Amino acid sequence: MNQAASLKPSLPDSLSLVALTVAGLLCLPLAYVAHMALSADAAIWSRLWTTRIPELLFNTTALALSVAAGTLVLGVSLAWLVARREFPGRRVWEWALVLPLAMPTYVLAYIYSHLLGAGGPVESAWQILVGPDGRLPSPHSYAGATLVMTLDTFPFVYLLARAAFLNLNVSYEEVARACGVSRAGTLLRITLPLMRPAIVAGLSLVVLYVVSDFGAVSLLRYQTLTYAVYQQITGRYDPTAASILSLLLVVVALVFLVAERWFRQRSRFFQTTGRYRTPGRRQCGPLGATLATVYTTGVFAASFGVPAFMLATWSFSAVSSGALDARFVGFIWNSVSLSGVAATCAVLIGLPLAYLASRRPTRLNLLCLQAAYAGYVLPGPVAALALLAIVSHLAPFWYGTAAVLVIAYVVHFLPAGLQSMEPALQQVTPNLEEASRSLGFGTAATLRRVTLPLVRGGFVAAWVLMFLQSMKELPATLLLRPVGFDTLAVRVWLEASEEYYQLAAPAALLIVIMTIPAILLLLSKDWRAA
Amino acid sequence: MNQYHFHFTTVSRAWPSLLVAAALLVALFVPPAAAEPERLVVYSGRAERLIKPVLDSFQAKTGIQVDLLSSGTTELVNRLQAEGVRTPADVFITNDAGSLEHARGLGLLHPLNMREIDRAIPAQFRASDNSWVGLSGRFWVVVYNTAQVKPGEIKSILDLADPRWKDKIAIPNSGSEYLQAGVSVIKAIVGDDRTKQFLQGLKSNAGTQVYGKSSQIVEAVAKGQVAFGVVNHYYIYRHLAAHPGAPIAAFIPDQQEGGIGAIMNVAGVGVIRHTRHLDSAKLLVEFLVAQAGQKMFADLNKEYPLHPEVKADPALIERKTFRAALVPLARLAELREATMTLIEQAGLR
Repeated sequence: MNQAASLKPSLPDSLSLVALTVAGLLCLPLAYVAHMALSADAAIWSRLWTTRIPELLFNTTALALSVAAGTLVLGVSLAWLVARREFPGRRVWEWALVLPLAMPTYVLAYIYSHLLGAGGPVESAWQILVGPDGRLPSPHSYAGATLVMTLDTFPFVYLLARAAFLNLNVSYEEVARACGVSRAGTLLRITLPLMRPAIVAGLSLVVLYVVSDFGAVSLLRYQTLTYAVYQQITGRYDPTAASILSLLLVVVALVFLVAERWFRQRSRFFQTTGRYRTPGRRQCGPLGATLATVYTTGVFAASFGVPAFMLATWSFSAVSSGALDARFVGFIWNSVSLSGVAATCAVLIGLPLAYLASRRPTRLNLLCLQAAYAGYVLPGPVAALALLAIVSHLAPFWYGTAAVLVIAYVVHFLPAGLQSMEPALQQVTPNLEEASRSLGFGTAATLRRVTLPLVRGGFVAAWVLMFLQSMKELPATLLLRPVGFDTLAVRVWLEASEEYYQLAAPAALLIVIMTIPAILLLLSKDWRAA
Repeated sequence: MNQYHFHFTTVSRAWPSLLVAAALLVALFVPPAAAEPERLVVYSGRAERLIKPVLDSFQAKTGIQVDLLSSGTTELVNRLQAEGVRTPADVFITNDAGSLEHARGLGLLHPLNMREIDRAIPAQFRASDNSWVGLSGRFWVVVYNTAQVKPGEIKSILDLADPRWKDKIAIPNSGSEYLQAGVSVIKAIVGDDRTKQFLQGLKSNAGTQVYGKSSQIVEAVAKGQVAFGVVNHYYIYRHLAAHPGAPIAAFIPDQQEGGIGAIMNVAGVGVIRHTRHLDSAKLLVEFLVAQAGQKMFADLNKEYPLHPEVKADPALIERKTFRAALVPLARLAELREATMTLIEQAGLR
């Protein structure tokens, strides 16, 4: 060990320098937005406070809370069904309920605009029932945004709750049952409280997703902070108001994040021994099985089945009328190449940060890693706003090139990638590297021949994840795309926002299809473990 | 950061995918090979389907390849300003004269000395130095649902702020250049106080019916979600052409004695000051102002052509039968900042 300790300082200091630079650059957008907002004229602040801000804060919080409530109910109940009950088709539903993650919010939103909109199929059916004057509430509303976002994000809660149900030590429940507590009582008083950390983690993902979503709220015309920032950027000559709203948005996201951490620290549960037995599944009776099937089928149909069917039919008619031309192939290429480059850059940038934080966890190196998570609270329009300003000051020759878009993707999605790069590096014991060094390999050779091959899996997963998120990204792409660089996501939004639903379908379907295998791949380990 | 996030699986073969990505990286930033046909980069703030057919026919006629970036007009002005001399853009097309005049003020546009322009487009529809040239006229009019209201129920656009139309109107969002230009005209004629009252009434009557696209407003009126909408006239006629028999009609407000007059704006074009393809850019402008190009705006888009010898679509209300507001187009730029303040004070979305 002594020898190893004496080896460590010989790691090149240039790596630290790189990490520091990268971390600084990653924080720059956040710092810039804060600077622009705080140096704004007080008159602009007060004008926004008296006009827009209360409404926007209320709308954003209200949507986040209602979607959290909706996903809590859907996610936990479905997880309980598939983890604790046996009914026909359970195995199929168990993985099918993850599929809504493949639907970008803007795709689901535009399908629901059509389905529930005036003159849409649902209203027509309703009018057959109640007469031609029957009207349904518009999906372009708080309720509509809640519905779409809930259907799109409940799998976050479902996945984590399912894993918690399966990994729970059944002894606690058995003790409760032995003491005479009913099944329902055990679920409410023992199981669910024990699952709190998992549920809160799922909900915090949902809330961050909702707060930073642009696609659904823009198509459903529900005013949140993220949407307002985009409108300010595109509708005004002066970005000051946009930066003020951006700063508020960042603060809102931070508040949710900090609240989640605080909650998690307060309620820490430990399992003293490993789970030694899988919790049993109770067989449903005929009535129970029917109800379970109706419920799971209903949720699946609403969140994935029907939308995917609509996309397929629309795509079919769009393709047969010649929508798949050379231009369309160009959109695919733009999407794939941009996302590929962004994911690769992000892996290369994340490597020194994650490596230093796990091998030399000094305060500075850990801080660098934390800095990379700044992108978490930087929704697409905010990242775009900051980058536009920074690039036009510091590197004007990059303005309007694909490079800016790649930087935006990296800043925005690196946190998601680091989440799988970090554990991958931590799982490699430093002993292996030390052995390599003691056998005469230099630092670089050790990295190349020992460390990187061992962390390959986690890094590929990170790459895939960042690739997919970049491909689905909408607001930053809309604001930063160079000439002739429309991506699939941009095309979906452009067509859908003019209600050309059929023209939007092929691109949307392609995004969904490309996302599904990757989601299943990323989840497969989680699946086996549970 | 989040220990409850998914655990990711191990997948083999990382390096091929990294290599592919590296190749993509190279492909992305290597400039295209030389000896290509002449290209023009057009920034357009108009809905893509309203301008692409015209550019396609220019491309077919001249062989000059047109690369189009469709986005918001204001966003593009910001972009041009930030790009400065490095802009790849050669030509700027907008849906609003005020934005063009603003771009001229910022020194983004190239004055043109072309007889073709002087001959085709009347002087009130272009900048004094031809930095920008109007291409097609549009009126900000009221679309109403013929099953729900009768034409006589409102006279002026200001009547839409009347509380009796609560939840009965659809309006564009505050980022819309049409709305900004329209409010500028109203403000120039009736003054700040009445304009503010009008905007507050409009806001409360529209409620959540605030749209990003004019086509959506027309759609909402056609479906009967609302009785009235404020849009550019041609969206109404385009909708009627696609859905004959839809229960909508256009109403040109403020024609009464002493009224504001119909609010007019033009879509226009300007050549970017820093273009490296001035000749091709001029060719495009020439194409757009010539009779053939003007006819496309008239026939495809249902706009009012500005060329005096090109006729508007016969479905449109005859141009000579109504009166336009007397606010010069070039003033829209100077009015805009004050208008935006009013719009924000009223709290429009």
